[in-house]
Amino acid sequence: MKKYEIMAIIVNSVDEKEAKKIADESLKKRITNFGGKVTFEDFWGAKGFAYKIDGEKWGYYTVLQFDFDGSKVKDLERELNIDTNIVRFLVTKVPKDAPKPVKYADLKASEAKAKEEEVKETEKKEETAEKAEKPAKKAETPKEEKKPEVKKDKIDEKLDAILDDASIGL
Amino acid sequence: MTTVRPKKFVCTMCRNNVKYIDYKDAGMLSQFITFYRSIQSRFHTGICLKHQKQLSNAIKKARIMGLLPFVRYEK
Repeated sequence: MKKYEIMAIIVNSVDEKEAKKIADESLKKRITNFGGKVTFEDFWGAKGFAYKIDGEKWGYYTVLQFDFDGSKVKDLERELNIDTNIVRFLVTKVPKDAPKPVKYADLKASEAKAKEEEVKETEKKEETAEKAEKPAKKAETPKEEKKPEVKKDKIDEKLDAILDDASIGL
Repeated sequence: MTTVRPKKFVCTMCRNNVKYIDYKDAGMLSQFITFYRSIQSRFHTGICLKHQKQLSNAIKKARIMGLLPFVRYEK
């Protein structure tokens, strides 16, 4: 008995509940029928493909790890190829020194956390940079605000003077 | 006179003690593909031959399962 792993894509014409059922019936049951023992189970859910597979853009992903007799792998693959509910599958050997399998949801959560931390770090850097720039900005900004106010009155006066001028003929 | 030898370059995977490259982790694998989605050569990744072989095999598996693209544009 050796450790194997199977990843399969289930057709997208069914609900998520039905997809889980199919994963149970057509994958898990088959493996146990051949004398295998499922050790790890992970239903990824709906996921988009990187390219179109059989004209479809997405499907339900499932991953199973199981102990299996090596001579029976071909028979399992033959049955899965006939099954119409499975779009594509991949059976791989799991090496002995491989780490313990991680659930897809946990993997995604850890990735999101790492991204958030990165964003926070960059924000902190920006804040520190802004703080260094701020004292110089404070001196500049009030002057800029005052200038246009003074000018506006002058512009109004000039406009009035132009409008009152009869030589233009408005 | 003593000769100064350049520091020996250590593969990033070896430094992190990576034993098994998982084909399901598409986010990690996508670091090692180029703009046109081909596998980056060892010259550019700077990884030892042992890990590069594992990496390229993992990327090929991920491509078959639709986790990574073969080419940049698909008709």
